[in-house]
Amino acid sequence: MENQKQNSQPIFSVSDFIAVFNQTLEYAYPNVEIEGEVASFKVNQGKFIFFDIKDKGGSVGCFMTVWQLRQPIEDGMKVVISAVPKLTQWGKFSLTVKTIRPSGEGALKKSFEILKAKLDAEGLFSAERKRLLPRIPEHVAVISSTQAAGYADFIKILNDRWGGVKVDVAHVQVQGEAAPDQIINAINYFNQCEVLPEVLVIIRGGGSADDLSAFNDEPLVRAIAGSRIPTLVGVGHEVDESLADLAADVRASTPSNAAQILVPDKNEIIRAVNNQIGSLLPRILQFIDQKRQLIMVSIELIANNINESIDEKIWGIKTIRNVLDQLNPMVVLSRGYALIRGEIKVGSTIEVETSKLILKTEVKDVVTK
Amino acid sequence: MSSQNKTISEKTAELNAIVGWFDSEDFNLELALDKYKIAEALAQEIEQDLLSLKNEINVIKQKFDKEK
Repeated sequence: MENQKQNSQPIFSVSDFIAVFNQTLEYAYPNVEIEGEVASFKVNQGKFIFFDIKDKGGSVGCFMTVWQLRQPIEDGMKVVISAVPKLTQWGKFSLTVKTIRPSGEGALKKSFEILKAKLDAEGLFSAERKRLLPRIPEHVAVISSTQAAGYADFIKILNDRWGGVKVDVAHVQVQGEAAPDQIINAINYFNQCEVLPEVLVIIRGGGSADDLSAFNDEPLVRAIAGSRIPTLVGVGHEVDESLADLAADVRASTPSNAAQILVPDKNEIIRAVNNQIGSLLPRILQFIDQKRQLIMVSIELIANNINESIDEKIWGIKTIRNVLDQLNPMVVLSRGYALIRGEIKVGSTIEVETSKLILKTEVKDVVTK
Repeated sequence: MSSQNKTISEKTAELNAIVGWFDSEDFNLELALDKYKIAEALAQEIEQDLLSLKNEINVIKQKFDKEK
């Protein structure tokens, strides 16, 4: 009993003490959530992250790997960590961080802006990457919480607007720590389907900045950008902007708006079709009217031609008549000439006809001109 | 393919083609009435299809809280 004092208290080796101490900690605090401010944030070898979480009254060292970091973190940022407390083999107390997320509006906004700038620089949000959605999809996948009001709004608007669509729904959490990974798993599930849906719709209704922060998760944003299926994302209200929105092929302002973008309104189509049919009969009548007008013009043209022809004939007849008139002996007589009948010799009686008189006269003399 | 087996998109495309014919140089009065009757029947079918079709919503049983 060398390692035991007289009062029966155990004497540990250092290693045993650390192990027992950690067991006790694990039993008492299997997981702790701590809110505080980040200080001395640094990344070693591109793999390991060390930082302190502190407040006015104290500071604790933290450790995590870069793969656990879902959102940008920097010094001065207020965060909530989920961690396991641990005494290291060097006797240093440390928190092994499982998750870390910005807390409070300022930290969320700062983290959002840092990640937005980073992903934008990579071209994840560029307009050239955006794909068009089919005008009328027949098979779509929806990722949402089926218990959320946003999902109910989406389905209602979808059913009101269109029918005949096969809708596969993946029920996931849309807020909280588990949400990003569940949504990523659902994205991967649909992208691995033998027959791909034509559109992948990701929706969530409104909420606080913290509620919506799941949609600013870097791996989730990358999964949306990398989807083989064109994506339509509608998260929050119109004023909310998430990085998932920016990475999507098409952004909807709300879940209801997502349904409006996804399918046309059948009532509008019915109206348009009826308008098309309604426009056909007037076109037939217009065509008939145009033909009637053409016929009227043709008839008028023919009538004019006939009239012109008649006028020409009348003019010709008048000309001939004038010529004939000039040749009429009575016209000659009317100009003062006279017509003489009988033998022209001295002493003979001849008949002289003027326009008005017929004279019997005797020839007194005949002189040759 | 009979009209009954066509999708709404196909019927709409056919209707658009007929409406286009009315605007084209191929239009003639002799065929217009027949074309009009076909278009009217198509419009009625499209309306009936749109009003009767229901979406098929299927919530997948798989859980997504863990990697596949």
